[in-house]
Amino acid sequence: MKYAMLVLKNLTRSKRRTILTVLSIAVSLFIFSALVSMPAVANRFLADSASTTRVACHNKAGVTYALPEAYKQRIAVTPHVAAVSAQSWFGGVYHEISDQFPNMAVDPEMVGEMWPDWDISPQALHDFQRIRTGALVGTETMKKFGFRIGQQIMLRGTIYPFNVTLNIVGTLGGKAPPSFLLFRRDYLEEAAGRPGFVDVIWVKVDNSAQVPQVIASLDEGFANSSAETLTEPEAAFYGGFLAGYRLFFQIAELMGIVVVFTIGLVAANTAAMSIRERRSEIAVLRSIGFPARVILSMLLAESLTIALAGGLLGAGAAYLVLKLVTMEGVIGAIQMPASVLFEALVAAALIGLLSAIVPASAAARRNIVDALRAVA
Amino acid sequence: MDPNYVVEIENVSRTYRRDEFEIHALDKVTIRIPIAHFVAIMGPSGSGKTTLLNLIAGIDHPTAGRVAVGGEEITGMKERELAAWRARHIGLVFQFYNLIPVLTAFENVELPLLLTHLNKAQRREHVEAALRVVGLADRMDHYPRQLSGGQEQRVAIARAIVTDPTIVVADEPTGDLDAASAEDILTLLRELNRRFNKTIVMVTHDPRAERHVDEVYRLDKGVLIGLETNTAVSARATSA
Repeated sequence: MKYAMLVLKNLTRSKRRTILTVLSIAVSLFIFSALVSMPAVANRFLADSASTTRVACHNKAGVTYALPEAYKQRIAVTPHVAAVSAQSWFGGVYHEISDQFPNMAVDPEMVGEMWPDWDISPQALHDFQRIRTGALVGTETMKKFGFRIGQQIMLRGTIYPFNVTLNIVGTLGGKAPPSFLLFRRDYLEEAAGRPGFVDVIWVKVDNSAQVPQVIASLDEGFANSSAETLTEPEAAFYGGFLAGYRLFFQIAELMGIVVVFTIGLVAANTAAMSIRERRSEIAVLRSIGFPARVILSMLLAESLTIALAGGLLGAGAAYLVLKLVTMEGVIGAIQMPASVLFEALVAAALIGLLSAIVPASAAARRNIVDALRAVA
Repeated sequence: MDPNYVVEIENVSRTYRRDEFEIHALDKVTIRIPIAHFVAIMGPSGSGKTTLLNLIAGIDHPTAGRVAVGGEEITGMKERELAAWRARHIGLVFQFYNLIPVLTAFENVELPLLLTHLNKAQRREHVEAALRVVGLADRMDHYPRQLSGGQEQRVAIARAIVTDPTIVVADEPTGDLDAASAEDILTLLRELNRRFNKTIVMVTHDPRAERHVDEVYRLDKGVLIGLETNTAVSARATSA
């Protein structure tokens, strides 16, 4: 602790340089945190939302191709299948084209069994099954549009040539994707003239150990039919759905790392300049008995303090900005996970330590006589 | 090792290599400095004065020979041991003061005490005492830029004596000062020697220093060419 005073005093030696270094690290870690949050949110979504006993059965040709609704009955009698619910993507918008969130129609009678981890209250479930225009809405979407239970809303069809008028009867919580809106498929079917096709058939397996067997059984059962199926666990299904974003996520992560690396080089140059200017002082400290390891520790502590201050400032600003300026996506609002804050601080600490370690080690171990002579 | 001598240097040589050149800074120098003496090492530029002082201070290693200070042979010590030894036994004063500009006079003087086990209150007591001795008790909160050259050197001397070292070594302590300030510094060093029995070894070009010291060692081209005692140097200084 007694050396902390020395470290702090040295940080005030050139206030402008200290502030500029803190700000440059802060800006780089702001960019890093914001960019890395996107893939982190996607990964967290997959880890948090996916159930090990829920599988999605869809057309082998792709999710944009439909399956006959009649498959439901065949799937329901397959051994180890506990529940089945068909889903049709509605893809409606609320007011403006920018007011988009995932909305789909599902079979109301199976919602409770299929998604027990979505924290749907018994009252909401009851109302959803009772009211044909009932809708269940994720918490983020409720918050974003200021919806309340009992409110009537209209979604404009973009795939279907009609609008649906819905009454919000409850919310989706727990592991439900926070932006989702579910409404009843019988309502959609009736409005669409009963086409008899669905996009996905969700299957609940009675035991996670039986999932591979059920998947094989379903896909083999529909092989060589007019609509062959591809059945996959929920995590893989959503992962595939997000695959289109993967390249963007990877570029975002790469950009974040490049920015941090670049600022690391700038910080290294600044640290080298700062230490070079103080060679005489370092030599004096060593001549009066300061061990090299104490001097090295003090120089690293200075650099670490600057970098962590920048890291906290940058990552904190990214957290606030992402929180205030909500970026709505398929998987909900993009907010900075705690893991990204941790990564940003680790990156800051690495910038601090790696940028100073070489010049600090050299200065702490330089021959005292040479250093004093260079000054004189 | 003779307990009457605080510095014993035997047959010490120091050779530097600068690119392809070999420089013999010291050649078989033998010096013994008695306890509580005020000694000057004088000679022309390049005579090896500062090299000799650096060896006494333990910040340089001889190429050959033996250096013992305060009864401890330091020739074979490793850098880590030497750092701890310097903290206990050596007080250093430099020509350009070498104070840390972001620290106050108090904090500069406190620096060597950070290496001890003294608590904050004890450190304060020692620092205030050292600053009183050099006559700067009223300037302890001043930064180096707020002090004159002479005052900065006084702070540097306070920093050198605050741990009560075995020996104070001063490299051209008056080299950057005007005549009046230089005289003040020499008087202060003399007083430290007299009042506190502090052994002081000083490298200097300043002929005024001869009047204040007990002995003058004269070096030329790395060789010890003479030792003059106080009477002799005083007489010569008076006639000059």
